This record gives sequence, C-alpha cells and structure tokens, in this order.
Amino acid sequence: MGNKKQKKTPEQQQYEQLQQKHETKRPIFKNCLKAFFVGGFICTIGQAISYFYIYFFNFTEQTAGNPTVATMIFLAMLMTGFGFYDRIGQFAGAGSAVPITGFGNAVISAAIEHRTEGFVLGVGGNMFKLAGSVILFGVFAAFVVALIKTLLIMWGVI
Amino acid sequence: MKIKQLILHVFIIQCLALIVTGCNIPQNQTSKDYMVLLKATNPTPRTVASDSKGEELITDIEKNIEAHKDLYDVAVIKGKKHILVVYKVKHLQRFHMKKIEKEVNEKLEKEYPDENFIVSSDYKIFLEAVRLEEKMKDTNFSEEKADQEFERIIKLKKELT
Repeated sequence: MGNKKQKKTPEQQQYEQLQQKHETKRPIFKNCLKAFFVGGFICTIGQAISYFYIYFFNFTEQTAGNPTVATMIFLAMLMTGFGFYDRIGQFAGAGSAVPITGFGNAVISAAIEHRTEGFVLGVGGNMFKLAGSVILFGVFAAFVVALIKTLLIMWGVI
Repeated sequence: MKIKQLILHVFIIQCLALIVTGCNIPQNQTSKDYMVLLKATNPTPRTVASDSKGEELITDIEKNIEAHKDLYDVAVIKGKKHILVVYKVKHLQRFHMKKIEKEVNEKLEKEYPDENFIVSSDYKIFLEAVRLEEKMKDTNFSEEKADQEFERIIKLKKELT
C-alpha cells in the first residue's frame, strides 16, 4: 500500500485530496441503528409467527422453527415481488439482509432480474446465483458442526 | 403500477385483519390459557385419576421445583404411569436450559425414586398442560378423556421434527 502511494504523481495526490474532500461520509452509526431496529422488528414478527404456530397448531417450541422460517421466507418473497422489500433493503441494509427474509429476497430478486433471458436459462439458471452459495456453505457448515459434535460426544467431552 | 400498489394495500390490510381477528379469544379457550406464553399463570397441580395421596405428592413436587432459582411458573400433572413436570426458565437463564433440565431431573429422581417423571421446559407443553388443567376443572370432563389428553401431551413432548 505504501509503495503505491509513493508512486503517485503530485497531480494524482492532489486529485485524491480533492476527491476525499467531496466524498460523502457514510453515517455508519445511523446505518447500524437502522439495521438493528429493522432487523429486530423482522425477528419480532418471526417470534410472533412462531407463537402463532405454537398456540393454534401442534408444534412445540422445537418444531415450530421450520414452519416459521418457511412463512417468513414466503412473506419476503411476496414483498420482493411487489417491490416493497427493496425499499426496506435500501433503508435498513444488513438489517433486512441478515435475517432469513434476506434469503427469500435474494432468490426472487435474481429471478426477476433474469426473467428477460427466458424461464430455463434465465429464471431457472440464475435464481440461486446468490442463494446457492448460502445453501452450499450452510449445508457444509452444518456438516462440520455436526461432525465436531459427534466426535465430542464420542469422546465424552459433552 | 397502480394495480401493484392496490394489490399490496389489499395484502397489507388482509394481514392486519388476520392479526386482529387472530387476537380474538376462541370460544373453547379461556383467557388464562391465552396469556400462558406472556405471563406467569401458576397453574394448580392436578392428578388425572383422583386420589388424595397423589395430590399431596404433586403439591410437594411443585413446591420443590419452584424453589429452583432459575425457574418460575411450574405445572405438574400426574397421569397413571408418569408425572409431567413443566416449567418456564427465566429469560437470561435460557442459555442454560439443558443444564437446568438435567438438574431438575436429577433432583426429582433423587427425591422421588419410585415415580416416573417427564420433564420439559417447552412452551407448547406448558400451554397444553394448562389447557388440560383448565379442562379438568370441569366436572363433566371424564377421567378417561383426561388420560387420553395427557398421553397426547407426552407424545407431543417426544416429537422431535
């Protein structure tokens, strides 16, 4: 990094200073707060849905997770289709991407983006462009964690 | 664009309507079981088969479990074969749920070696225990039905997926 800076011509350095002067500063703290509250709100909705399944259906706290996740993803997909989730994403950033709803958004937004390329090569081929890596590394991480847990149980540590 | 907005508005209104109507208390449910997940209800311990010795035992068990510092709201129901003990764990102690369950199990097995216990901290099991307790208050609710309901709760507790 240091060598690169030395190689810059005086004009380049001057331009860099000028650019830094006009650069809009990111309000990191404000963005973090927005992400925290919107992400928290999404999780509160998830908790309410989970309680709904516990109250009205035969799901225990342990088993209510699956239908809750499915419902949240479904709602996020609908909202992405209507263009509402994009606005939430613009406002909250990671607050809307990190919860499971971000997964639904990644699937549907990729499908909408590539719709013009046809259903097979466009929608089908690109739908899991971003979500595919989530699935792959999610499954792999789960496998590794399960393997470690099994070994620890076998050795009597836990 | 207008049609899209209209569909979105209808969707939001439907969601809100569902939430609002969902907040109504259905006729077969009591207000007590409705608040189970939100606040402490302290249900009375009950036995499926009526016997005074069993009632003394479960009252004693409830007092014993309630003495644990990390728990609150204990429900105890005695069936024909098992005794169901359900409790809520204090919020900040929920990270240690497994440890607490182990402690409660050990304590019960040590103090009441002749009984078979089923211990749970699951909200659903607690809710169902309270519902059963409420139903058992009704004199028309037969012992047989109570036992069937009790077995259903035990089955639900063992369900993993």
